[in-house]
Amino acid sequence: MTLGIDVIQVLLLIVIAPLLRGMIGRVKARIQNRRGASVFRPYADLWKLFRKEDLVPLTASFLFRLCPIVLFAATLAAAAFVPVLHASSLLGNTGDFILLVYMLALARFFLVLGAMDGGSSFGGMGASREALVSTLAEAPLLLAMIAIAIVSHSASIASMVHWTAVRDPFQLSPVHAFALVALAMVTIAETGRVPVDNPVTHLELTMIHEAMVLEYSGPSLALIEWANSIKLTLMFTLLIGLFAPWGIAASLSFFGLGIAVATFALKIAILIVALAALESGVAKLRMYLVPQYLGIACAISVLAVVFTVFAR
Amino acid sequence: MNLSEFPLKFLLGGLLSTPAVACVSVRWKSVRPLATILPISALLAGAVAALQALTHGTRSAVDISWLAPLPFALSLDRLSAYFLLLICTVASPVAVFAASYLKRHYDDLRQCWILALLPLFLLSMVIVVAADTVFAFLFGWELMTLLSAALVAVDGWDGERRRAIFTYLLMMHAGAGAVFGAFFMLLPHSAGLDFASLRAAAPLLTGGVRGALFLLAFVGFGTKAGIVPLHVWLPKAHPIAPTPVSALMSGVMLKTAVYGFIRFTFDFLPARPAWWGYLVLAAGAISALLGVLFAIAEHDLKRLLAYHSVENIGIIYLGLGAAMIFDSQGAPMWAAVALSAALLHSLNHALFKSLLFLGAGAITDATHTQDMEELGGLLKRMRVTGIVFLVACCSIVGLPLFNGFVSEWLTFRSFVAGGELHSVLAAIVLPLAAGVLALVGGLAAACFAKVYGVAFLGRPRSAEADRAHEVPRLMQAGMGLLAAACLLIGIVPGIVLRLIDGVVQQVIPGAPAPSGFSGGLAQLLPWIAVFVIAISVGWFLVPRSTRVTSTWACGLPALDSRMQYTATSFSKPLRQVFSWAYKPDRTVTILPPEQPCFPASIAYRSVRTTSFERSLYQPALDGILTAAKRLRRMQTGNVQVYLLYLFLALVAALLYMRFA
Repeated sequence: MTLGIDVIQVLLLIVIAPLLRGMIGRVKARIQNRRGASVFRPYADLWKLFRKEDLVPLTASFLFRLCPIVLFAATLAAAAFVPVLHASSLLGNTGDFILLVYMLALARFFLVLGAMDGGSSFGGMGASREALVSTLAEAPLLLAMIAIAIVSHSASIASMVHWTAVRDPFQLSPVHAFALVALAMVTIAETGRVPVDNPVTHLELTMIHEAMVLEYSGPSLALIEWANSIKLTLMFTLLIGLFAPWGIAASLSFFGLGIAVATFALKIAILIVALAALESGVAKLRMYLVPQYLGIACAISVLAVVFTVFAR
Repeated sequence: MNLSEFPLKFLLGGLLSTPAVACVSVRWKSVRPLATILPISALLAGAVAALQALTHGTRSAVDISWLAPLPFALSLDRLSAYFLLLICTVASPVAVFAASYLKRHYDDLRQCWILALLPLFLLSMVIVVAADTVFAFLFGWELMTLLSAALVAVDGWDGERRRAIFTYLLMMHAGAGAVFGAFFMLLPHSAGLDFASLRAAAPLLTGGVRGALFLLAFVGFGTKAGIVPLHVWLPKAHPIAPTPVSALMSGVMLKTAVYGFIRFTFDFLPARPAWWGYLVLAAGAISALLGVLFAIAEHDLKRLLAYHSVENIGIIYLGLGAAMIFDSQGAPMWAAVALSAALLHSLNHALFKSLLFLGAGAITDATHTQDMEELGGLLKRMRVTGIVFLVACCSIVGLPLFNGFVSEWLTFRSFVAGGELHSVLAAIVLPLAAGVLALVGGLAAACFAKVYGVAFLGRPRSAEADRAHEVPRLMQAGMGLLAAACLLIGIVPGIVLRLIDGVVQQVIPGAPAPSGFSGGLAQLLPWIAVFVIAISVGWFLVPRSTRVTSTWACGLPALDSRMQYTATSFSKPLRQVFSWAYKPDRTVTILPPEQPCFPASIAYRSVRTTSFERSLYQPALDGILTAAKRLRRMQTGNVQVYLLYLFLALVAALLYMRFA
């Protein structure tokens, strides 16, 4: 039974991931006084891309085609770490947050390699910028999660979520507040959203992710885009799980799971509106301000770690 | 003859007799393969001896004091056996690689020189890790330095190389001075020259003497290991050695220093104060960070790899420092985990770093250059080398399913556990050290994305790279063995972690077996591996309609290789962010100067100006020279003055005897 729910959780994350993207786009359009496309358009895009042919550059090696697949597989494995409906997950009971972060790193490493295989300057440009952002995001990401791991006396994701779920919101220490801010800032950088990267731009001077995937087309591009939305969903779910898991099912009853689904949908909706509002209200940062942005995130995560000493 | 001691004796005998075979093969060429087969079989026997000692705890010992002026004995306890296993598993694939590589790159005589010196170099490292007496250890230690320098010198002896070798020898002997000093300070308190009496003597020492001993060992072994700022010899000496020798120097020789440091501080000096741990931790953090930052700015492949050795030694020292802090705080379980992390990372680094150096040798073999800006598109031309090099890159970056991840994971977890220690300082410092490790990991990932992306992917940047073709089978086999070992430890880490249990429990008595702690990860990794590999291979094999086209060129006729991102441009953003570490001196030359808007050529040059040689070693050297010049005034050449000196010295000695 538990195993069944764990599998359903992973599938849920994978399936709703494109929907999240569609909804962010829709809310953004509304904020900007536009009608916007249907929230289901990302599904149609994926379907269209999967049926097209793959264009492979002349100079590329077999790695060019392999990279999107490894990216997708590693992102799927990472998605199996986060608890969604109840405080347990397929890999998150024995697997800890370090393994989760490094599965994402594995995915990203291959994406960067694939970008460099095209042999154009765009791929290298995107890869180099992605390397900058992810390098600087790694320390705050891990430090923020380390702070929570120390407070909750465990490193496995499921028990970190459980620890917060059984406490009431006012029992939480400043550690959680600092870690939340740091992790939210890192989430924006890691998933390539404004103000760090703009997912809808195609301007050479600013693009990061889009420059990396410029050479990709057809099914390969579909895998990359899908993996990207899974990553966004997984980071959102992680934020919810670590900082506001209340409502997550304690027992596997229909009633409990129903409440879990409802609260999860509500929390995701809040995050979507928040992200859309942020993306509409803030301009993209200049490339060389991004290190400062991540430096602030890093300083906040250091504070989170330091405050663990007072939280015991 | 005792059968259990046979493998160790065979190892020593095999390595010792190979030089003779190599000498004979100068004249009779048909003997030459024996000079490769003999050391490889000896190394395999050594691995058997090491496994015997690791699994059963049997101490096989060889005592040849009758041959030497002072007691000279070798014996294998678990710690020695672990490092012997490291030497043997890494050196045998390197020897396989060397068999083919030497034939392609050296004339007859120099081939024989290398074939004769290489086994002796290995033998010296075996003596260091297996030594049971002070004399044997110091003999091996000195021999190791001299033989490695000789092997570097085989490649040539012109101006720049001679300078590098001289720096190497100088630094090594300064370090050896500290190591000798540490042993000689300990000897007066000990009953004999064997390690057991040293161990018995150490608890009787006062705190000050112990602190001095630790500092000497830290500096002495740190010089050999290459911790910042004692690393300056490393990026000079490693890149200029013949490829198999660079692989052994970076992969294996540095680990003998780690062994010596563990043996001296953990084994001889129990009850360590906490500040030792903090010092080691700080040295590790600085080495790891500066090592990887300097590596990013390099585009000479071998020098880049040499800087990454500094980084990885830093990671090992982070684990050792954490182990010492935990031990001093009374948390033996976590000390055991941190120590197992350092031990495993030593083995992992030995495997992937020697693989990377062999890969760099294969690239040089195919393209005749080590400059990354001249490479590109090699994966299409050298498929096997490309794949094993990718495995090595993923391993050194510490990605899951590759061996580097397991040891970095252990280090991370011990740091996280540090957050729950009673000491507030430790509870803040250890988790923040995890932040440093995370940053280092990210930088390493960026650096190796650059290395692999620029050297193996995209289009070739020179005609040489375009013409590159795969290296011979034996070279592929040597690299393939190392890559297989990296993947094996990365996916099934339990096999090595269980071997390390015994080592850790010998070094930290009373500690629980650390493999119990990592059991969850060891269970999970094979499943993730099956999952990722099944999806990747499955999807890759599904037939898809693909069309090969030219790369998008914004409507221009065609792209050429000069429009690609280079290694320099790839690392530019990171160099900009961390410019405090480089303080670069940039020059842009536009030709002809009178036409700045329509130049014929633009040359951009960026040179790192920070250097420990200039900021640390040069002032020290100047100080010594100034002091020597001042002292010269005493040398007047006048006999009466010298008689006065004698008289004053005599009076001083008498006064000392009277009052002291």
